[in-house]
Amino acid sequence: MDRSTMSHSLMSRFRPLFSLGYVVSRGLRGMAQAPVVQLLAVSTMAVCMLLLGVVMLVWSNAQGIVHAWGLDVPVTVYLVDHAEPAAVDLMVERIGALPEVTRVERVSSEQALERLAEGLGEDGALVEGLDPAVLPPSLEIELAPGIDPDFGHVLAEGLAEQPMVEEVAVAGAWAGRAHDLLRTLEDLALGAGLLVSLACMAIVWSTIRLGVYARRAELQILRLVGGTDRFVHGPFVFEGMVQGALGAGLALGILWVGFDAAAPFLERGLSLLFAGGALRFFSPQELAIGVALGAGLGLLGARAAVGRYAEV
Amino acid sequence: MAIIELSDVTMTYGRGPAAPPGDAQRRAARKDERRAALREVSVAVEEGAFAVLMGPSGAGKSTLLKLVLAMERPDEGTIRVAGRDIHRLRRSSIPYLRRNVGAVFQDFKLLSDASPLENVALALQVLGMPPGEVRRRAASALSQVELDPDAHRPARCLSGGEQQRVAIARALAGEPAILLADEPTGNLDPRLTREILDLLARVRERGTTVLLATHDPLVLDHPALTQQIHLEHGRLVSLHQATRAYGRCEDEDGIPAILPAAWPEPAGAVA
Repeated sequence: MDRSTMSHSLMSRFRPLFSLGYVVSRGLRGMAQAPVVQLLAVSTMAVCMLLLGVVMLVWSNAQGIVHAWGLDVPVTVYLVDHAEPAAVDLMVERIGALPEVTRVERVSSEQALERLAEGLGEDGALVEGLDPAVLPPSLEIELAPGIDPDFGHVLAEGLAEQPMVEEVAVAGAWAGRAHDLLRTLEDLALGAGLLVSLACMAIVWSTIRLGVYARRAELQILRLVGGTDRFVHGPFVFEGMVQGALGAGLALGILWVGFDAAAPFLERGLSLLFAGGALRFFSPQELAIGVALGAGLGLLGARAAVGRYAEV
Repeated sequence: MAIIELSDVTMTYGRGPAAPPGDAQRRAARKDERRAALREVSVAVEEGAFAVLMGPSGAGKSTLLKLVLAMERPDEGTIRVAGRDIHRLRRSSIPYLRRNVGAVFQDFKLLSDASPLENVALALQVLGMPPGEVRRRAASALSQVELDPDAHRPARCLSGGEQQRVAIARALAGEPAILLADEPTGNLDPRLTREILDLLARVRERGTTVLLATHDPLVLDHPALTQQIHLEHGRLVSLHQATRAYGRCEDEDGIPAILPAAWPEPAGAVA
């Protein structure tokens, strides 16, 4: 193979990469050409994403609080001290085999003490040095969603008769209300997500449309010299993705600052309700998903904006 | 071998493909005929030709070029470029056709704020070339049209002749098999017109088929022309083939074989 054939073959192999290079550089140049428009688009998107972020954060923390209060575990079986491990294993196996039960978890005295310390938040040090034996070991039973509300009581009555069981606690009606509240928050998050998605796409759509209109002569030329759809639309789609990612990133940044400032006060209040330490911000993975979601919405908005515009 | 071949092409702006005209449609069809930009045009351009498409404004020259570039679709007839019926191409294949058919427009279609090099580079970036290769080939294309590749003036600051050269350089940069030029000398004085024609003749010498649309009779004096196609009111009125390259264009047996046998000799046909 001679040198020119080799270089031609190499060029063909890297052609998509060079086209991508053009798409990225032209997209960035396009953004730099209209900085005010970009700033407006990114900040408006950030406001929308912030709204979604707040709802998601409240929902996620409400779940944490419900968990801290044990409301997601409707039946808790407190075992007697020195219960026979084999007998407890057998009971766990039998309860787990019930179709209405989704999970049975053993909680030792040490684990129970750890949870108590967590629930007290900053006051968790108060239980330091306490003998774990003061808290009995237990079994946490989670029931399948949508089953008869009386099932928990029927199960509790049956279990209370067992010799290794000291007491059975069944979460009351307020647990149901907490779950209803959680479901409402979930619906709210879903609704906000949908609205914010549409708003973000509309923002990107209008910004990109302006860009397409301003650069219509260039688009026509690109078409006439043999630019494919991907090549012609690519810079705009990239621009939309960057707008979306920046908007989401900015929103999450503002949210983090706000959370960081408010969390100590909220934590103090929650620790009085034995739910201290339940507050948490988004994990790095969730943050990455948030930014990717913004980029995805930007992509969809931009794709809709370029459509078959400037087709010749 | 014909590299561009139009067979019975009719093209009307503002309406879709015509239905076969029945008795009830005769009047409507007659009305449409008056509006047709091209009517039953059959013409072939040989590979390596330097063909000129002559005719007054509104003759259908630009429409014919647009059809070859797949910018428009004919109502009837077929258009073959390098043996392929281009209007049966999928939409996604049209860019690949255009990479092989360079085009120069009367209004240049340049990026007014970009330098000549950036304008030419655009046609190469589309091909997915590495940046270094893009710069090298764009500079070479500009040198071919005798423009300074290092000039940083934006296209809007160039003279008409320079802008036309940039447009030609852009059309040639990708080394297309065919070069279409729509009134490339339309805004130029006779000296610049001659320069552009000489340039196109050199392009043709390198093996590119050149099809030039113009209403400027000065173009007909150029010795490199190999074919003259005359259009009027959307009809092909005459077709002349040069007997030898670089010779004067002469008639080829009166009416060329490509025309329908029953075609009436139009009044005022260029002979």
